[in-house]
Amino acid sequence: MVERIGGFVARELGERNGLRVLELLVGPQHPASGHMRLVVYLDGDIIVDVDVDIGWVHRTMEKLSEVKGWVRAIPLLERMNIVDSCNITLGYVEAIEKLMGLEPSERAKYLRVIMCELNRISSHLYGMGIAGIFLNHSTMFMWAFGDREVWVKLIDMITGARLTHTYIVPGGVRRDLPAGFKDYFEKAARYQLRRLREYAKVFLENPVIRDRYENVGVLPPSMAKKLGIVGPNLRASGVAYDARMLGYEAYAELGYEPVVRREGDALARMWVRVEEIERSIELIREALRRLPEGRILAEKVYRMIPPAMRSVVDKGVSKFPGMFANLRLPPGEVVTRVEAGRGEIVYHVVSDGTPTPARVRVVTPSFRNAILLRELAIGERLMDLPAIYGSLDHFPPEADK
Amino acid sequence: MLEQLKPILEDLTAAVILPGAGAALVAALLVIYLERKLTARIQMRVGPLYVSKRLAGLLQPLADGIRFFFQEPIIPEGVDRAAFITSPALAVAVLLAAFAAIPGGPGVAPLQSPVSLLIVLAAVAISPIPVIIMGWASNNRFSLLGALREAILNTSYEPVLLLSALAGAATLGTLDLTKAVEIQAHLGIPGIILNPLAAVIFFAASLATCDRIPFDLVLGEQEIVAGPYTEYSGILFGVAMAIDYLKLYILGLVFSILFLGGWLPATTWPWTALVLFAKALIFMTAAVILRAVYGRARLDKALRTLWHFYFPLAIISLIWSQVVTYIISLAA
Repeated sequence: MVERIGGFVARELGERNGLRVLELLVGPQHPASGHMRLVVYLDGDIIVDVDVDIGWVHRTMEKLSEVKGWVRAIPLLERMNIVDSCNITLGYVEAIEKLMGLEPSERAKYLRVIMCELNRISSHLYGMGIAGIFLNHSTMFMWAFGDREVWVKLIDMITGARLTHTYIVPGGVRRDLPAGFKDYFEKAARYQLRRLREYAKVFLENPVIRDRYENVGVLPPSMAKKLGIVGPNLRASGVAYDARMLGYEAYAELGYEPVVRREGDALARMWVRVEEIERSIELIREALRRLPEGRILAEKVYRMIPPAMRSVVDKGVSKFPGMFANLRLPPGEVVTRVEAGRGEIVYHVVSDGTPTPARVRVVTPSFRNAILLRELAIGERLMDLPAIYGSLDHFPPEADK
Repeated sequence: MLEQLKPILEDLTAAVILPGAGAALVAALLVIYLERKLTARIQMRVGPLYVSKRLAGLLQPLADGIRFFFQEPIIPEGVDRAAFITSPALAVAVLLAAFAAIPGGPGVAPLQSPVSLLIVLAAVAISPIPVIIMGWASNNRFSLLGALREAILNTSYEPVLLLSALAGAATLGTLDLTKAVEIQAHLGIPGIILNPLAAVIFFAASLATCDRIPFDLVLGEQEIVAGPYTEYSGILFGVAMAIDYLKLYILGLVFSILFLGGWLPATTWPWTALVLFAKALIFMTAAVILRAVYGRARLDKALRTLWHFYFPLAIISLIWSQVVTYIISLAA
């Protein structure tokens, strides 16, 4: 091995596990590392080992939510992943509701599904754009980010905020759909479906890109299960698991079928995302068709609001009851799981009867998938590292919490 | 007296201004602008606009270039100072030498040689060596890996480039660039029709030579930051970035002369130089616009493509050139 790489690089070689290798610090100051560091050990062009060094954007979310109070922790937890803020907070709000013994109104359940899927589409587009620029395909990058704007606008239309909209609140949602939303959505959906075919032409079926993705970073189903991988990365390896299959909120009534691919390579992971965008559009269509009439807040919360404010809620804008400011929940322990854009997010929330949570444990999908940056990269080439990174749609702030 | 000086002045102007060094700078600025503006168009963006709004942002690359002059060039500790500072200039100097042999019109070149094509290609072939020195002198692993890529890639694209250029020249039966145009004028057919295969391969090999997408491996930003140029800043970085565009311009001129009929239909200097310049600009634009369509090929697969696909094709194009010359000699 030493003879093979000597010469030009010899002066830079170090040792690891008895092998003479080149240690390369990819990140945290690197064009393609994100907010993290990958310590890559190279034998020639082949990756021998990768140390995934996460935690550079750790913001103590779990600890902070222990002092923030129950409701005020929602906008905080949203910051874990602002491109997917609805799915990220849904699990936490569901935990509060379970502790309160609160059931959201039927309409709110459907509105939550709609917002979650809107967020998922924009989150997947974000991931595809990043994956594009990881292969230096600037057109995919620009297209995905440009088209994401359509979905961000739709979210903005409903919630009044582009990214951190804190749409989901205990008992329901913050706002009702604006007038004519269905038409705007249809227009956006038709546009996006057309664009997805164009993405395929310019990116996914592009010979150079297929060369980069096919049979690169193959994740066999057994390994995926063993490592506890979640989300599109798991489904691309042929394992049909999606937390939405549990049927939380309105998913049970909408009949969700996960997108599954067998190959398990980087290309399959990208295709799963494309097909999930299509599936999400179908889900929103179905949800809009079946959207029940009624209030956007649960009856229990509605009755806690002063009568003078109730007319505002009837117009479709939520008001919080005063008790939410210092909400005390009955003691208890709740675990919720929700499918976020990058996979299943698990909340373990403990209440001890005080105005703040005793413990909020979050296991984010990016954190669970981070190990793949090591496992899939070993044995591949240095150039495959960004391809694998992009195909995993890893989001460091979400992993670091 | 003035009559005697005129040819010398023409030769010098050809090398220094048009289509030589000065035009190379203009071509680089224009092509960077076109590259950014056209890809922006494809990607639903506006592209450069705010510098010289009336010219649709035309002066943006110039502004960037001027900025490089006023930026502090940081020379990190631990670099081989002499090699670090001189190697970008060395690469540019070697490439500029090629303009001595590139004719700007019929017989307008400081260096008249029956093998001027080889002189130009030799200059292009030497230019990776300073780049490798850059990577070595930088004392940075990313630079080192970039230099390695340059070295590996160079051994792969160079034979393809040489063979396809030779195939183009063999079709015309000369290694003299001036003569190549004369022969095309005589035949009335541009080289690209006589030997389209060689032209296509030459184009592909130039992409690899000039580090353009999909063969932009040396500057592989997502893996090795900026390759050999990682530690460069200020005007040193500007000069380093100019190397690729300079190479592209030179290869564009060679391509125009061998395959596009050189300065035809113009026959008198300086119009010949202008036509040549325009043709090289088209070649460069075609080379840079591919960035909107392709991503970066993987190193090993790029090498395999060059050796297993383009290299045999280049040999076929050489055989083709012999067949074509035989047919032409029969017709004559």
